[in-house]
Amino acid sequence: MERRHHSQSHSQRQQGRNHFSSSSSNQSRSNNRFSFPKSSSSSSSANDVRDRRRETQEEKQEEAIVGTCPFMCPEAERLQRQRLRDLAVFERLHGDPRNSSPALAVKKFCRTMSAKEVRASDVRPLPVLEETLNYLLSLLDSTEHPFEVIHDFVFDRTRSVRQDLIMQNIVNDKAINMFEKIVKFHVISHHKLRSSCSSSSISPLHYLNLEQLTKALTSLYNLYEANWSSKPIHEKEAEFRSFYVLLHLDSNGQPVGESLSLWFRHVPSPIIKSKEMWFARQALRYFQMGNYRRFLSTVAAEASYLQYCIIEPYIDEVRSLALCCIHNCYYKLHPYPLGHLSKVLMMEESDVELFCNAYGLQTCIDELGNKLLPTKQTTFCRPKGGLQNYSFLGFQQLGRQIEL
Amino acid sequence: MAYMSMGEAHRRITDYLNRFSDAVSSQDVASLKQLLSFSSNSPSLLSLADSLNVFQDANRLIKQSDNYSPFADITVPLFRSLQHYRTGNLVDAYLAFEKSANAFIQEFRNWESAWALEALYVIAYEIRVLAERADRELASNGKSPEKLKAAGSFLMKVFGVLALGTVHLCRSVIRSIETARIFDFEEFPKRDKVTYMYYTGRLEVFNENFPAADQKLSYALINCNPRSEANIRMILKYLIPVKLSIGILPKDWLLEKYNLVEYSNIVQALRRGDLRLLRHALEEHEDQFLRSGVYLVLEKLELQVYQRLFKKIYIIQKQKDPSKAHQMKLDVIVKALKWLEMDMDVDEVECIVAILIHKNLVKGYFAHKSKVVVLSKQDPFPKLNGKPVNS
Repeated sequence: MERRHHSQSHSQRQQGRNHFSSSSSNQSRSNNRFSFPKSSSSSSSANDVRDRRRETQEEKQEEAIVGTCPFMCPEAERLQRQRLRDLAVFERLHGDPRNSSPALAVKKFCRTMSAKEVRASDVRPLPVLEETLNYLLSLLDSTEHPFEVIHDFVFDRTRSVRQDLIMQNIVNDKAINMFEKIVKFHVISHHKLRSSCSSSSISPLHYLNLEQLTKALTSLYNLYEANWSSKPIHEKEAEFRSFYVLLHLDSNGQPVGESLSLWFRHVPSPIIKSKEMWFARQALRYFQMGNYRRFLSTVAAEASYLQYCIIEPYIDEVRSLALCCIHNCYYKLHPYPLGHLSKVLMMEESDVELFCNAYGLQTCIDELGNKLLPTKQTTFCRPKGGLQNYSFLGFQQLGRQIEL
Repeated sequence: MAYMSMGEAHRRITDYLNRFSDAVSSQDVASLKQLLSFSSNSPSLLSLADSLNVFQDANRLIKQSDNYSPFADITVPLFRSLQHYRTGNLVDAYLAFEKSANAFIQEFRNWESAWALEALYVIAYEIRVLAERADRELASNGKSPEKLKAAGSFLMKVFGVLALGTVHLCRSVIRSIETARIFDFEEFPKRDKVTYMYYTGRLEVFNENFPAADQKLSYALINCNPRSEANIRMILKYLIPVKLSIGILPKDWLLEKYNLVEYSNIVQALRRGDLRLLRHALEEHEDQFLRSGVYLVLEKLELQVYQRLFKKIYIIQKQKDPSKAHQMKLDVIVKALKWLEMDMDVDEVECIVAILIHKNLVKGYFAHKSKVVVLSKQDPFPKLNGKPVNS
């Protein structure tokens, strides 16, 4: 089993070159996370991975472009899109679909086959990218347009910002800062898009957003690791790392990327011990065990706003499990008080009744006027459509945490 | 060899070339695989080899046709290799095949997706077989056998293409090995089989497919050289958590013999229903378990520990008063947990009870008003029976 030892570094260095001429957003995947186990100590493998990544970073620097475009959108593209009337609402000068300006036009995302095809004049340097991103994020406050429209625009244009960053191989602190903001945007969209779609099938916008969330997050992790030697821990790294855990609570779902067990192997120790990661691990533990009581109460007490946004879909799942357990495992002759159910589910009592109804369950009232849920009803069934959005007790505190 | 006419030979060659280009354009990996698998000694490949000897101008044929010329870099050396193979010149067969294989990798990289993965695997297999036979030929002629080493570096190139940094892609590679039936697993040397089963078994552990992990790691263990203790230890390091998850506990001497004492307290906790000990053990070796990737598996044992604790309470109650044993007051459980320094409120204990019943670790129901768990009179604590706790 020791044979494969030496071949490691060769194949690792291969990863530095982009084997597949696909869009740059795939580049983050070309960083090798697969390491052969050595029979030596465990901590050395994490260091080796970092060393090898730095090697490939240096190789990439030689190939990287240096952008010179001074505007949020390259002039040639803006003029062309003006001609073709391909301007988003936010880009139109006084609402005119044929006219834009350097202050409004933002470079669109476009898949490039390889970095060789791209001109430096089409790529924006770091200061311009920072301004562009700040401008895009400021649009999120707008009340003039429905959220989906704003999201769609910011989604696409931030994707282009990411692409420009990666193409130029900008991997410093500022890049980290920008990726953190972009991930945050995707996380909040993950929450907002969910509340706006009522059907049980996830809307395409929501799904695509999740896809980019994951990609941007992976790039961000690579950036943290690339900067490891100059600055081991970043202020928000713990929280952003915790997102990966929260995105993978359900191990039975199709794993996207690495399984958690593998992923944890190369998370630095200080991150594992952070309070944000501790929360995520507790959430994971309770979720996998089915401990709905602790899961819901811990989320209410300890989740940050962003963590809540990610974990939200699982809240419904856990409540569903709770209802299943109570309904199937409790004594038929002792109906369950709704007041208590409200505490268990962390839901307003009025919503609890609707929740039960969605599962085909009827409630009743006792002589004192208390609402009860009789268990072991034969009409119990999974809701056909999606669930509506229910209150979450404890959400009010989270609302105060939003800083944009 | 039966007489073959020029026309017949020409037909067979163009037939092969057509099948090759059709397979590529329709991304039909099943057909492509068959065209590359020399060692299968299929009649069609053998007769192709014969045809190439009769119609000697295949190269011109390939290069002059728009259909065939795009793959000339692959097919020209491939044909040459096949001819050498047929006449028993294994060293030349290997060299030509290696050339063809390199060209294949170039094309593979240009294709949109990894549709041709299985074909790449056939090539990897064939190159290795050819290299081994070439080396035998070299050795028998008194020369140094270095083709297998050359094949090794080719295979590393293949791996470099395949190991795209995410283990989940590894899974599709493994699946394609296991379902492709391009070779008989049994034919490989035992040492390789053990290695393969160890790595793939470990992967199954990370993905929490416990039945598959059990099967593979057990195979590795049984077939491992009993004297290589280091290897046995590596296998056990992953097999033990898997076995624990399906309710099978190792004996203490096993843990001591192979220096896997980090698992001792966990096994004890499972035996005694001691939650505090489990939590403590996980904390004590947290770093080590996280780095080896078994932490999450071990964490999940908590429910089994709860089951064991309840069972103990039940046994004690049964000794005191058999007629009332099947009714367990929630208070009693809360007290037991407090004694174990587990700070849990009544609501949480109720939740755990409900979960245990839901997951069939406890048979019975919960009477909410009287706060009593009513256990089934028959087999209230079902064993796992080799299956992981169901979700």
